[in-house]
Amino acid sequence: MGLSVEYVAKETATNLWRNRLMALAAILTVAVSLSLVGTALLLRQAVNRQIGAVASNVNLQIFVNPGAPKSQLAYIRQEIKATPQIESCNYLNSTESYNQAKQLLKGQKTVLSVLSPGTVPTDFRCQLHNPNQAATVGALFSAGIPGVYKVTWPGQSIHVMEQVTSVLQLILLIVAIALLVSSLVLILNAIRMAIFSRRREVSVMKLVGATNWFIRIPFMAEGLVQGFLGSLVAVGIVMLSNWGLSYLSDRVQALSQATVPSGDLLVTEILVVLVGLIVGVVGSSVAVRKFLDV
Amino acid sequence: MIRFDDVTKVYKGGSPALKNITLEIQKGEFVFLVGSSGSGKTTFLKLILREEKPDQGAIYVAGRDIGVLSAWKVPHLRRNLGCVFQDFRLLPNKTVAENVAFALEVIGRPRQVITTQVAQVLDLVGLGQKASRMPDELSGGEQQRVAIARAFVNRPLVLLADEPTGNLDPATSQGIMSLLDRINRTGTTVLMATHDVGIVDSMRRRVIELDRGTLVRDQARGVYGLTDEMHSSTSGLPAVPLSPAFAELLDKDNRRSGKADLDKQKLPLSDDVPVSDAGKGNSRVSSVRARRGSRY
Ligand SMILES: Nc1ncnc2c1ncn2[C@@H]1O[C@H](COP(=O)(O)OP(=O)(O)O)[C@@H](O)[C@H]1O
Ligand SMILES: [Mg+2]
Repeated sequence: MGLSVEYVAKETATNLWRNRLMALAAILTVAVSLSLVGTALLLRQAVNRQIGAVASNVNLQIFVNPGAPKSQLAYIRQEIKATPQIESCNYLNSTESYNQAKQLLKGQKTVLSVLSPGTVPTDFRCQLHNPNQAATVGALFSAGIPGVYKVTWPGQSIHVMEQVTSVLQLILLIVAIALLVSSLVLILNAIRMAIFSRRREVSVMKLVGATNWFIRIPFMAEGLVQGFLGSLVAVGIVMLSNWGLSYLSDRVQALSQATVPSGDLLVTEILVVLVGLIVGVVGSSVAVRKFLDV
Repeated sequence: MIRFDDVTKVYKGGSPALKNITLEIQKGEFVFLVGSSGSGKTTFLKLILREEKPDQGAIYVAGRDIGVLSAWKVPHLRRNLGCVFQDFRLLPNKTVAENVAFALEVIGRPRQVITTQVAQVLDLVGLGQKASRMPDELSGGEQQRVAIARAFVNRPLVLLADEPTGNLDPATSQGIMSLLDRINRTGTTVLMATHDVGIVDSMRRRVIELDRGTLVRDQARGVYGLTDEMHSSTSGLPAVPLSPAFAELLDKDNRRSGKADLDKQKLPLSDDVPVSDAGKGNSRVSSVRARRGSRY
């Protein structure tokens, strides 16, 4: 008694094959929209990591001229102590700075070849009580303290990066949502066609006493399969996006931390598949409710 | 088996399709529902199937008020009601056997049960040899036999037929009628809406006549049209000569108790569908229930 997996599989496969063009359109739209959703999610995580890497430990970086005399260093230290907004600072000497530069510029052999411990600026990495005061403190130190090469605080660059990516994300998200809605409509329509092409079967099923769920489930499974296949394509495309991102982050210094760890990538892919299944189920449920009069 | 209790049905924006119908059909009866086009015959059958709901009154099938049946139980009601139509309603892309099997598949019967029951019922309707034909390779009469096989394969309590001979020539119709009669003899109640004067007159079964939604006649062993004799005696046997083809089918009580029941050989129903008479009451209902383990 009841619905066998074999029956549903057979019915679903037959339905999909009969309406294969409609099904293909629905699957491709799901794929495109979910690729955008997945890529937007990846981008967001990558940017957050990049920003986090820059912003979390260091609020202010005071670079000291390479080979600056000890007296200048001591003076800078004194000034730092005298500044109440600064919580603490960590000084990287020339060897440490050089090592860090080597890591950051990994792969860029020509740049590395001209660097040596003596040519890399050393720096103080400071944490502020309130990171928003970076600009004020930064101005204090860049104004004529001897030996200071330059002062940077991630505030400006992060702000620009955040703005650009949030606009980008918003656009991606809007397009993705529009596409998700249209893929929902396409799935709905594909199921409507399937119901229409099987109206004789459905009327006989009602007549001989098939239960409502028995009649509905093959159609809903069809929508589910369309959503699932679309999301599988999207999973592949999101993987490609991730590959592109790590390619960029290997080569562009400003994006050196803009990668997504494989655990987070997996979560993103699972999310993509889930959204695909939901779109399939919702689209086909609406179609079944509206067009299958049981 | 079927009871209408002061049933009125009004479609939206029309005059009543059925007006204050009260009647009862016993288990095992063979009943003709006659009346001109638009008199409400199809509506009567749809009410029994719960395809429509009465606006007033109650309808009982096997003792259950089907008006208060919740929607999810309606399929279980329909499993006890077989249905045949004028236009056969076969699935053109399935073979004869697949068409019949479909009715069992979609109510979740196991494959082995389906295989044996389909073979049995196709033998019963005389199409065992044509199981793998497509419907469009069959004559109209054969297609209607397939439809009857599909309606009967699940051994319903009641077989409803809406003008089943409406598309068939008289000779073919007679074949269909003797098939319905055989099915009736297995204990299945048969309710058939028809226009066919010849069939009604020759079968001499209970006739219920509707006229613009009103019950105008309910007569045991009736004929299609009213005669003077009918007016004087609604239950007596009329003096109209019987057509030879159906004369033998007349006395159903004799046939029921007859020991040489051909159907038992054709269709081994004896253990699960006892051939019953009115006195046995609901034995078949309960045995069917027990066997299926389902109720509606
Ligand atoms: N679905 C419907 N909607 C509105 N009116 C209907 C509908 N079905 C039947 N009717 C009307 O109800 C009356 C009885 O119809 P029906 O039961 O089909 O009669 P019969 O089967 O005896 O020809 C007719 O007047 C018909 O027009
Ligand atoms: Mg009719």
